[in-house]
Amino acid sequence: MNSWWGRLMMKRLCRLVWLLPLTAVLLFTLVSLAPIDPVQAYVGARMSMIGPEQQAAIEAAWGLDQPGWIRFFHWLAHLVQGDLGDSISYNAPVLTVLVERFPASLALMGCSFLAAFVVGSGLGVLAAACQGRWPDRLIRGWAMVISVSPGFWIALLFISIFAVQLAWLPSCCALPPGVTQDEAHWWQYGRHLVLPVLTLSIYGTGPLILHVRQRLIGFLDGPSARHLRLHGMSSTRLALGPGSRHALGSAVTVHLASIGELFGGSVLAETIFAWPGLGQATVKAATGADAPLLLGIALVTVVVVLLGNLLADILAAWVDPRLRIMPQEETLPRLKRLPWLKASARLKTASRLKVEPKS
Amino acid sequence: MIFLLVFHTLVFSYWVFHIQSLVDAALGMRNVGERDSASGIDWVIQGVRGLSLMRLRRPLMALFSMALLCSVGFSAASVQARSLVLAIQGEPETGFDPIMGWGRYGHPLFQSTLLRFDPQMNLQGDLATSWVLSDDRLVWRITLRDDAVFSDGTPLTAEDVVFTFNTARDADGLADVKALKQARVVNDHTVELVLNKPRITFLNELVSLGIVPKATYGQGYARHPVGSGPFQMVEWREGAQLVVKPNPYWYGQSIPFERVTFVFGGEQTGLTLARTGQAQMVAVPPAQADQPPEGMHLLSVKSVDNRGIAFPVVPAEGQTTVSGAPIGNRVTADRAIRVAVNQGLDRDALVQLALNGHGRPALGPVDGLPWNNPQAHQVSYDPDAARKTLNAAGWVDQDGDGIRERDGVKARFKLYYAAADSTRQALALGAAQQLALIGIQVEPVGASWNEIKHYMHQSPVVMGWGALSAGEMRNLYSGATAGQGYFNTGFYQNAEVDQHMAQAEAAASYEDSLAQWQAAQWDGHTGFGVKGDAPWAWMVNLQHTYWVSDCLETGPLQIHPHGHGFPITHDLPSWRWTCEP
Repeated sequence: MNSWWGRLMMKRLCRLVWLLPLTAVLLFTLVSLAPIDPVQAYVGARMSMIGPEQQAAIEAAWGLDQPGWIRFFHWLAHLVQGDLGDSISYNAPVLTVLVERFPASLALMGCSFLAAFVVGSGLGVLAAACQGRWPDRLIRGWAMVISVSPGFWIALLFISIFAVQLAWLPSCCALPPGVTQDEAHWWQYGRHLVLPVLTLSIYGTGPLILHVRQRLIGFLDGPSARHLRLHGMSSTRLALGPGSRHALGSAVTVHLASIGELFGGSVLAETIFAWPGLGQATVKAATGADAPLLLGIALVTVVVVLLGNLLADILAAWVDPRLRIMPQEETLPRLKRLPWLKASARLKTASRLKVEPKS
Repeated sequence: MIFLLVFHTLVFSYWVFHIQSLVDAALGMRNVGERDSASGIDWVIQGVRGLSLMRLRRPLMALFSMALLCSVGFSAASVQARSLVLAIQGEPETGFDPIMGWGRYGHPLFQSTLLRFDPQMNLQGDLATSWVLSDDRLVWRITLRDDAVFSDGTPLTAEDVVFTFNTARDADGLADVKALKQARVVNDHTVELVLNKPRITFLNELVSLGIVPKATYGQGYARHPVGSGPFQMVEWREGAQLVVKPNPYWYGQSIPFERVTFVFGGEQTGLTLARTGQAQMVAVPPAQADQPPEGMHLLSVKSVDNRGIAFPVVPAEGQTTVSGAPIGNRVTADRAIRVAVNQGLDRDALVQLALNGHGRPALGPVDGLPWNNPQAHQVSYDPDAARKTLNAAGWVDQDGDGIRERDGVKARFKLYYAAADSTRQALALGAAQQLALIGIQVEPVGASWNEIKHYMHQSPVVMGWGALSAGEMRNLYSGATAGQGYFNTGFYQNAEVDQHMAQAEAAASYEDSLAQWQAAQWDGHTGFGVKGDAPWAWMVNLQHTYWVSDCLETGPLQIHPHGHGFPITHDLPSWRWTCEP
């Protein structure tokens, strides 16, 4: 067992080694090219009261008077020592900003990720099981509608309906206004999570529903399913048993691979719901041309996305042994161990036992 | 997989750079079709309710009752006697350190300052009981009150004041105290502030620089401030909210609120908090201000948050700045063109067009401030007078294309504005239409500030200023600041104006300086007002709009500086609650 996932890990670590510097260079170039002057963004509306002398002092203090590539190597030298630099927009070390804001984002993204997976794959399986009938059509229609709806529009709609008109759920923030963290109850956190999680997860369910449905229908129409059905397995058991294993394996891959979009979506959700997480900091960093903070966030994102993909590959390979990276000659003999072949073999004997007494 | 990753990175950066515009677009969409979208949502609600009556009565009723239970629990938890929730934006992401620039707009909350402006812009002592300028105008001698105590219980002494000023002078933040040579202790309750040169506008530092404790000031101060002001921090959850309570050690009047909460987040957050009755004051965009929810009213505060057109006033002769930006414009270098633009602008129409009526015409840079000279900016919308002005100067439309010309030069120019700012866009487009009527062709150009920086010495630009200090006028109109950053982009220079402003800076007191500031605008034969050289055509002053609970009495309000939102807190300690808690 050690061999296949060990090899996978090695491969991915190698990728990280060249991917991280590449991301850093690309992003730094992008930030440098952005038509935003960090000092102007920092000074903002007080421009008239900050004289040229003070502006020069600010520039010098943040090293912004030096050319881009010098700043980049300066940043790199500090990075090697484990220092991510200082953020001009928060006037604090980047690491502090990340540590302070990551938990809120993690809660939001984690809940959305799980919710999207459960709901998306559940509806997908249901749609496939009822293929062609009204639940299938309804679910498919729903998936299409949310796939094409812009996320911010869904969020504003939810706020108008559930927060303003019906007043069931809070419209913003992580806690009610005026309540400090010490005074807050767990259910207050929960209530405030509902709408952001709904907004963030609903967008991810669309593709997932369609994917799971397609995979499952593909399986149910395939020879192995027909074989199992001939041996007396009911359609429902077929869909929930070997079928869902078949579909969910790839669904996990698809879903984990979409973690990057989750980050993008969280920027939006956090902006609209005033959620104090990394997404909010990203907007601030981008509009303020705050290169160190943006780079710090990007590095975190790249690592999380890469881990997500790694996890997807490991899970997929764990569910479906055909996907394990093997030396070529080992692959074929192992095909014998495919789970549903074993299951069908078992069924074969079972049906034989069943058939014999009848005759 | 690699491609997927790269793709995700791209998607991610796309989101980052476009998120603000997306949200803006969403809000804008609401602005334009607010009635329609509201009725659309009503329709959805009605649909949900109708459904619940017809088919899904039972499950929906269960859901309803669950939600009801939740909301009852929720409201029981959030009701607290006389606590105030404000959603007025303005979170200082860099923290609450006055030395780095906190507390310049509105009230510094945690710290107190040496002096204060009252709502009528008269100077009053706060920490200082007397402030005297030496005869050479270089030394402020300031006596401190003896009952000021920091919120940690230690008394505030001259040492703290001197430490604050000297540290701020050397700091690289948003408090520009570079005019200070040195602050020194005279005795426990007296300090002397020595200036590099006479500068009456240094008073602005006495008004805005909050005093920090020398003993405990350090690295973490910005996030855990200690000061001698009216409030102390309970909790600051960054990006979410700031909760403060009255500082028991404060020397001022008692504050009738147990707790004041500042909720941060976008405009949308504030609007929904107001509509759900959770906030008592909300900063609202002018376009949405006209329909406050029940129990709240619209408060529209005058400001000097102004917008105007800065003209290049020197002719184009091929000269450039150090960075290679071209200087000069042969059309706007003629005073007649600038005066005609001033006469040809229908400012009332611009207020309606760009600000939805929440503003007032701007004639000068400091309308309504004590150092304004109304005489200098006497101009009204009069297209005929504008045409006369242009004819007299020789700008005549000879070829009948609707654009005037003189010596083969067409009366046309580009007007730059920050593309991200829809108000400035509306102003630029409106001005272009209005000026076409008097035969001046204006081509509005939306650009990023980086682009504008390159062209602003060559082409007129829509700019906005509005600080509560006369020093701003010096920055905008002094020959010494020509071409420095965004100050005096048009290279305006008038020796007599400079002379008046130098005399104002060398005045013996704030009150004495006012006459000289006014003379710089118009002294009877020259000045930077429309009557004089007219290097600017001011267009509008914004009005800052808030929804305020009918129970909240804010008293007289100071005229607002540039920046919508936090400045309203300037007199927060004297706000009153007029209903039963």
